[in-house]
Amino acid sequence: MTPSPASPRPALRHETVLLAVVVLEWLCFHALGPRFGTLENSFDLLRHSAEIGLLALAMTPVILTGGIDLSVGSLLGLCAVLFGKLWRDAGLDPATAAACTLGIGALAGGLNAALIAGLRLPPLIVTLGTYSLFRGLAEAITRGADTFTNFPAAFLFLGQERWLGLPTQAWFFAAVAAAVWLLVHRTTFGCACRAHGFAPEGTRYAGLPVGRQLTAVYVLSGLIAALAAVIYTARLGQARADAGTGYELLAITAVVLGGTSIFGGRGSVHGTLLGVAALAILNNGLVHARQPREVAGLLTGALLLLALAAGTAPRLWAARRARRSPAPSSP
Amino acid sequence: MSAPLLELRRIAKSFGGARALRGVDFELRAGEVHALLGENGAGKSTLIRIVTGAHRPDAGTVAVDGRPTGPLDPRTAQRLGIACIYQQPALFPDLSVAENLALRLETGGPLRRLNWAERHQRAAELLGRIGANLDPRREVRDLSMPEQQLVEIACALGAGARIVIMDEPTAALTQAEQQRLHAVVRELRAQGTGVIYITHRLEEIFALADRVTVLRDGESVGTRLAAGLTEPELIRLMVGREVAQPYPPAERPPGDTVLRVRGLGRHDTGVRDVSFDLHAGEILGLAGLVGAGRTELARILFGLTPAETGTIELLGRPVHPRSPREAVQLGFAYVPEDRRRHGVILDLPLAHNASLASHRRLFPGSWLRPTAERRLAEDFIRDLGIRCGGPFAPAGSLSGGNQQKVALARWLATGPRVLLLDEPTQGVDIGAKGEIHRLVRRLAREGLAVLLISSDLPEVIGMSDRIGVMRGGTLTALLPGGAAPDAVMAAALGRATETAR
Repeated sequence: MTPSPASPRPALRHETVLLAVVVLEWLCFHALGPRFGTLENSFDLLRHSAEIGLLALAMTPVILTGGIDLSVGSLLGLCAVLFGKLWRDAGLDPATAAACTLGIGALAGGLNAALIAGLRLPPLIVTLGTYSLFRGLAEAITRGADTFTNFPAAFLFLGQERWLGLPTQAWFFAAVAAAVWLLVHRTTFGCACRAHGFAPEGTRYAGLPVGRQLTAVYVLSGLIAALAAVIYTARLGQARADAGTGYELLAITAVVLGGTSIFGGRGSVHGTLLGVAALAILNNGLVHARQPREVAGLLTGALLLLALAAGTAPRLWAARRARRSPAPSSP
Repeated sequence: MSAPLLELRRIAKSFGGARALRGVDFELRAGEVHALLGENGAGKSTLIRIVTGAHRPDAGTVAVDGRPTGPLDPRTAQRLGIACIYQQPALFPDLSVAENLALRLETGGPLRRLNWAERHQRAAELLGRIGANLDPRREVRDLSMPEQQLVEIACALGAGARIVIMDEPTAALTQAEQQRLHAVVRELRAQGTGVIYITHRLEEIFALADRVTVLRDGESVGTRLAAGLTEPELIRLMVGREVAQPYPPAERPPGDTVLRVRGLGRHDTGVRDVSFDLHAGEILGLAGLVGAGRTELARILFGLTPAETGTIELLGRPVHPRSPREAVQLGFAYVPEDRRRHGVILDLPLAHNASLASHRRLFPGSWLRPTAERRLAEDFIRDLGIRCGGPFAPAGSLSGGNQQKVALARWLATGPRVLLLDEPTQGVDIGAKGEIHRLVRRLAREGLAVLLISSDLPEVIGMSDRIGVMRGGTLTALLPGGAAPDAVMAAALGRATETAR
């Protein structure tokens, strides 16, 4: 966390409120669903939230710069398919195939970066384009029908087994979370991202390497989408062209729920982690509480809007009160 | 005698615990220009916002034509004929001049028929009344700041305003534009309009105002006739003490050549064939009209818009800054004209702003070192006398002068060779202005080469060792420091007899 004790601060930090929501959710579902609180279910929760969690982690610096990356869900699908292709049709072993996939993910992020940082096109439009492009490529490669299955057990270990007591992918998630947290909160890179989110022109005038910085965040986003693709394939034991459909929106939801301003500048990685937890617990808990799937979407939406309103409303009310009822005049 | 046009009685206003106004009386007569004066934070803006209905006073009354107005809101204020022209015009950048005027002035439902010919004619007529030669079809985003101000004034005229408030209207204007605006203000006065005129430029008061009211710490310290006042008297009223020396003197002859510029130009900016030398310890002033190419020249030197022709030599070595990053690494520093957009990042804390351009030096290995950053900020707060709520106060919470010091601190932290200052005291109160002047002089004494762009003629003359004058994108004259203002003006307007080397 960058210390800013002198800034006008709200009565409660967004992260504190969100932490309370997460705890409340947990207690609530623990009471509703008898199997919710078990260790096995907690591991399940971790497994299911790792991929969206990874995407949300990589999305945080992107949104901090004032940008957005809509292509990550599609890129996850493309990378999953390419990973399957490299393993099955090119005959690479899973580790080599995974390494190549990460490279492809970084390249795909590089395409976004080239258009956004190089040609200065708006991120929303660029990644909307690559959103369709990547998914289209995935479908073209599989002709919409091909599925990759029968991966070796050693590879599935990554998605379905435990290592040192935790689901294997949880270790990857933790490592990426730590790395992104350090990057955003402890390096000059993170500081420059915030500066860019607040004032892109002002950052350029300060002599910071704006182009390189934007390139880095979008390449990182692509790289982590590829990692999420490999983990996704290992968890389900299959790779299909429709993998990760809609994940980009869930990732953005988690980031914004975590208190990161969609306009850039303000936000934190721990907030994003809490946002991911709030969404994951909600979805998993509702299944255990035997609620239909639609409720999950409904409550996710309500939670996001409530969080946004709760973040803004007190300030607006305070401002309005200050305007309407003048303070008693001094004697 | 008839009732004054506008009368404020015992106006008080507090924000939280801070008392911005402590019972201020103010009176404006028809056909008078009444200057409102005071350092930043003295309560001028609050008083204006009460008159325009943006703030509600805690106590006191407002009367127009002798009749109490009751609680004012912006719409009531407008109906009473009160209009305010702000320093930063609030127009729609994507609409044309005529559309902007029509939006505020035309009445009728959303489905009324539009008559474009009439719109354009009306706009042209309003602009003509203030002598503004603007095509009503132009988009506002293409207009310069002074041109946008003229649109605002035309708008106030069109709305039939009788009480016109001008909040530092000349802060961004060159001398010639200032003269034109003054003519507009005199025209308004002749038509019986009351003008409340806020400015930091004292010479304007003597040129323009009938009466002066000085605010200090939320209280009125008196209303005087402008005619009998002297400059030291006014300054004493404002700051409560005499300001001894308006401009700190130069102290030693300049040293070696730091920057050698020859034939510099870039087609799309209009800058062409600029040549000059800048020495260590020298302040080279750049005077000229807005649009003469001074900011554009600074942007070329700083790599924002790289040069197409000509050469730049820094300490005898040819350099070609192609981006601000390269320029910073070479030892250039640029305090830009638009402080709020480019100079500081308002949402970032002071300390982050101060360290922003020195990341590589302060944080080797890219790891932030909060203690080092805090120490840097505290050093500058003490050294430059930045008044703030601590090193982590957001830059946006500081006053204009203190923001400017933060912008300076950012560049001093880089250890620059050449400091490019673009209107460094624009919109800065008179106390902070003096501090910035002394600071710049001190930096020059310590060996920094300073290029000072300023539209404030006394400033550029008082501060500079040599004065370059730009006109039409090129340097047309190089005058000695302390040159007569009319010589500088003449060169800027193209009536120069001397020419640059």
